[in-house]
Order: sequence, then C-alpha cells, then structure tokens
Amino acid sequence: MRILLVEDDAEAAAYAAKGLREAGHVVEHALDGETGLRMATAGDYDAYVIDRMLPKMDGLTLLSHQRDGGDETPALFLSALGEVDDRVSGLKAGGDDYLVKPYAMQELLARIEAMGRGRRRAAPATVNTRFQVEDLELDVITRTVRRAEKKIDLQPREFRLLEYLMRHAGQVVTRTMLLENVWEYHFDPQTNVIDVHISRLRSKIDKGFDHPLLKTIRGAGYTISDSA
Amino acid sequence: MLRLLRTTSFRFTIVYVFIFTIAVSVLGVAVYRATFGAAAQYTDSVIDSEIAALEDLYLVNGPGMLTRVVRQRTAWRDDSIYMLISAPSGAVLAGNLTALPPESLAAEERFFDFQFERPLLDARGEEIGYENRGARGKISRLRADPESEQSLLIVVARDIGAREFLRGRLGAVIVRVLGVTVVMGLVIGLVFSRSLLRRVELVNKATHQIRAGDLSKRIPQSGVGDELDGLSDNLNSMLDQIERLMAGMRDVSDNIAHDLRSPLTRIHNRLTDALKGDAATKEQALIATLHDSERMLATFNALLSIARIESGEGAGNMDRVDIVAICEEMAELYEPAAQEAGFEFDFKSAPTPLIWGNRELISQAIANFLDNALKYAKGGKRIELSVRPTKPGGAMLEINDDGPGIAAEDRGRVKERFVRLEKSRTTTGNGLGLSLVAAIASAHKARLSLAHSALGSGDRPGLRVRLEFPAIKKKSARQTVKADEKLEAKSGPKVSAPAAAE
Repeated sequence: MRILLVEDDAEAAAYAAKGLREAGHVVEHALDGETGLRMATAGDYDAYVIDRMLPKMDGLTLLSHQRDGGDETPALFLSALGEVDDRVSGLKAGGDDYLVKPYAMQELLARIEAMGRGRRRAAPATVNTRFQVEDLELDVITRTVRRAEKKIDLQPREFRLLEYLMRHAGQVVTRTMLLENVWEYHFDPQTNVIDVHISRLRSKIDKGFDHPLLKTIRGAGYTISDSA
Repeated sequence: MLRLLRTTSFRFTIVYVFIFTIAVSVLGVAVYRATFGAAAQYTDSVIDSEIAALEDLYLVNGPGMLTRVVRQRTAWRDDSIYMLISAPSGAVLAGNLTALPPESLAAEERFFDFQFERPLLDARGEEIGYENRGARGKISRLRADPESEQSLLIVVARDIGAREFLRGRLGAVIVRVLGVTVVMGLVIGLVFSRSLLRRVELVNKATHQIRAGDLSKRIPQSGVGDELDGLSDNLNSMLDQIERLMAGMRDVSDNIAHDLRSPLTRIHNRLTDALKGDAATKEQALIATLHDSERMLATFNALLSIARIESGEGAGNMDRVDIVAICEEMAELYEPAAQEAGFEFDFKSAPTPLIWGNRELISQAIANFLDNALKYAKGGKRIELSVRPTKPGGAMLEINDDGPGIAAEDRGRVKERFVRLEKSRTTTGNGLGLSLVAAIASAHKARLSLAHSALGSGDRPGLRVRLEFPAIKKKSARQTVKADEKLEAKSGPKVSAPAAAE
C-alpha cells in the first residue's frame, strides 16, 4: 500500500516508516499539517496515518478538509490523547481508526491492514454477509457457523469474535482490536481475558480437526487464515 | 485619597448624603411654611378686618370719630401703624407714621411692604433716636358717599421687623443644617470607606503574598463574623484546598520520580554493562530494557488517565447507564479467565435503576477489581460480582473474593497512587489500579469501600470491594428510570441493552 504518514516528530516518524516499509508498504512522510494536506490532495494513497497534534494544521482539520473534498482514503489517527472523547472526535473528523501512542508496530500494521481491506471490500454495492475460510463458514444473517458442513453452536459473543476474525481473514488481529471492536472497550485489562476467550473459541472451531484455522501470532495477536 | 473616593462604600455615602440633603430641605421648607407663612397670612387678615372696622366706624360716626379712634390706637404703642390723611388736601389727621410710605402710592387697596422709622425710646419713654423697621400694610380710601369729592386715605400696617428678623435667622439655620449634613455625611462616608478599604487591603495584601508563593499564608479575619469575614473564610478554605491539592501533586511527582527513576536507573546500568558485554548479553539487555520501557509507558498512561478523570474530563461523557448491563458484559468478559485461573465465578444481579455514569469508566473500574482478584486472590476459590439497588435509588456494585484480603490498616493506603503492599511486590503492576478506581468513583460521586468478605474465612478473610453509586438527582431522569422499571417488570428480569454501547 502507498501510505502517507503525517508526523512532526522525526524519530517517531522514522520508527513508523521503517516498520511500515519492512511490511512492504510504500511510505511518504510529511512533517507538518499543511505539507500533509498538500501531499494528500496531490497524491494518490491507499491509507493515511496522521498524528493528531501537528504544527501549522492539526490532524483533525487536515482530515476534515480531505473528507469535505470527497477523499475517502482510509485514515488512522495516531495520538497521545487516548480518552474516549478524543477517539470520538477523531472518528467524527472522518478517521477510520485511532491508535494511542505509544503503540506496538504490530498493532499499527494490523490496523492499517484491516482498514485498507475493509475499504476495498465495502466498495461493492452488496455487503458481504457470508464469510468462508477453508471449510469454516459463517453466515451473519442466519447467525450460523459451520465447519465441514457440521453446525457449531457459539455464544453470541463468540459469534461476534469469530465474525470479526473472519472479516479480517488473513490479517493479524491484535488483542486491543478485539477488545475495541468485539467488546467496545478502550482500555487494556491487566490479565489475559481475551486469550481465554480465543482459546474457548478455538476449542469449538478447531477441536477435532487436524487442521487449525485460528492461529496465534506471537507478540502480535491472532489470525484466521487458510494454511496456504 | 483618590482611591478612597473610588470605593463602593464612598459612592454609597454620596448617594445617601444626597438623599438626606433633599430630606432636610423638604423638612426646612415645611417648617418655614408652617410658621412664617401662617404668621404672614394672619397679619394680612388682621389688617383687612381692621380696615373694615374703621370703614364702618367712619360711615356710621363720621371723620371726627375715626380720627379720634385712630389717635387712640396709635397711642397704644404696640406694633400697629396707622396714618389717616384727608384728601385731596393732604393734611395728616392722625397716625404714627412720619411720612406716607412711597410704596403706598402705587398700591391702593393692595398689601405692600415698606420701611419706616420707628422712634427708639429709653426706659423713661423719651425718644432717643430712630430705627428702620420693616412693615406690611394696606392703604384704603374712605368716602362718605360715592359722589363726594371729600375722602380720607387710611394706611393700616403692622410692624413685621421682629418676624422678618426671625425669618432671616431660620433661613440661615436651615442653610447651616444643610451644610453640616453634607459635610458630616462626606466625613462619615470617608471614614467608613477607609475602614472598609483597610480590610479589603488586608485581603489584597494576603492574596499578593500568596500569589508570590507563600501558600501557607491565610487571610486575616476581624473576628466580628460579618460578611467580610465570611468572604475571608471562604477564600481561606479555598486556599486550604489548593494547598492540599498542591501537596497531593507534590506527592505524586515525588512518587513518579521514585517509580520512574528506578527503572530508568536500571535501564541505564544495564545498557552500560551491555556496551562492554558480548552479543548475548546485549540482546538480553535489550529485551529487559524493552520490558522496562513498556511498564513505564503503562505507568504513564495510567497516570494520565487518573489525572484526566480527576480533573473532571470524564464527567463530560456521562449519561444514564444501565449498570446491570455493564456488569453483565464484564462478567461475560472475565468469567472464562477466572475459570481458567481456577476460580468459581458468580454473577448476581437484581433489577437496579439506571445511574448517572460513563460505561467505559465503570467497566474499567470493574476490570480493575477483577484483574486484582485474579492476581492477588491466588489460592482462593471464588470470585463474585454482584449488583443490586440501594435504598435511596442508587446502585451497589460488589466484588467479593476469598483471597488473603487487605488488612484494615492498609485499606486506606492502597487507594493512594503507587502504593503497593509488600506481599504484592512480586507480581506485576504499577500500584495505580485502585487509585484509578478511586478517581473513577469520585467522578461518579460513588463511595468506594474495602472490607473483609463474607466469602472469606479464618486466615483468608477475603476482600469485598464495594462501589455505591448515588441515585440520579434530576426529576426528569427519575421519571425515565421509573418508566424503565415498569418496562422491566412487564418483560421480566431481562436487562436492556447497554446504554453507552454503539
């Protein structure tokens, strides 16, 4: 993906750019809000990563400008401000995701990945209601899950968990992303609550199959993908 | 002096002096009218009736009789003045006026004021000179019959010198009283203003010193208990609070310094060693440093959250929330982890009215309690989360465990920032969890209390954490709650969707 990174702290920018490039993205970097706005207007990017507090023009204004101009490029805000109202104002300005500094590189990569694909998939007129990974099927309308044609009973929350994972099949999904999107909490529990939920889900969908679909990515999170 | 004139109390005084002056003037005019006005009218009516009586006398008894009577009255030497002149000859027939006053010529049948010379008499009745005195009188023409050319002119007047003198005196007195009123009012006003200004000045001086950095300084009070003392009292308690907060801040920054200095020192030493070491040492140092920095960042984030909640920012996001739904979600989130850790996890709820709060913050508080229970109640068997209504219409949230509990003397301390009990030194954590919960509780005006739990026994007294949320105050809000309760009663114990969830 071509990513525009707008970040005034050179060191933080170098860290983010390096991580993104290592993951195979093309990164262009602006040091202040006005430059960022110019580059966003002129260039063609697949995603924006914008720091909220920037010299000359803050990140919210920058993105609002782009959104007003019809620019639908997915955008992620980076910010040291992490309270709920900060997130809300970020999302209101047109942001698709919000990541609080300091963040783990895995977290940033996972979110950019999720954001970019979400966009592309949402583009067709029909909204996807059925997801499939190998022989695992999930139907959002009938709320049923099958693996190898065998129906699997899931609790409502387990269903939402699996749905989120399958919507982002092939991508790494972090614990924080799960907590934010499946439970709608924006704080980090000190204990391994998510892991336990995942292991319960795993025992339901992978147990008895010699081919596990739900995998743990060490130091990052989880992913559902076909073994290929 | 100029400042004195600008004070509020002096401006008030000016207004009062002005009003008082007007009152005194009105009083003066009234007194004047009642005394001299009435006296002047009386004099005029006496003169009128005298003239009428003399005219009757003349018409009945003729000029000779009139002349005699006038002479007689003149001889009484009181304040009466007469002059009888025969016209057109101009001969003075009787009277005590030496000459016809010039004012009388233009004033036929009308009252006129004039000056006349009155003889001064000594004790024996001898004339020793004249004095000029004021008089008021009327001139009238008497005719025996309308066709006759013969007529008499008569002047009847009264000496009003004494009265005029008194009138002048009264006027002077009134003016003087007015003057004294104004001057005294101004002086009293200045004195009042000065004493008030002096007290305000004391307050200002104290606040200047406080602003200059002496936070222990307090505003002096006069001890009378008046409104200025009340003001000082309020300012002083405000200062107490500021001082307390400052002390708290100092504590916190000391704590931050302490808590961050040790890992920073550790990092520094480790890196210094690593520079000299081999590749394996270096990698180990880097990994350890990474862990340390992650923990420091977590500490920072927790501190920021606490600070933001305490400064009241979280309160802006409050709404009516269904605490039962919040607890249910948290129970659902934590139950697997609790079971995994070997606990029996119970969630108990009773229909509870909505409370005023923030879903995210309340959830975070519960998460903290449950994290703590999982971390510190090791060896325990049960964790119980419960929510139920309280008498005044609020909600009570409880987390019980049968772990080692917290000794009574430590309970106050654990809510403070960075406080970690000796027993917990071995576990991870930054000592901010309960401070965060305490901040969340106070943002919700909820009461946080720690006690031994009913689940505990013997040497494992367990811990009961209790958060009591107050009832929603607003009237409209209460009605909504009632409506909700009715709905709930109809549809059974089912809980409505989380209020804050999107």
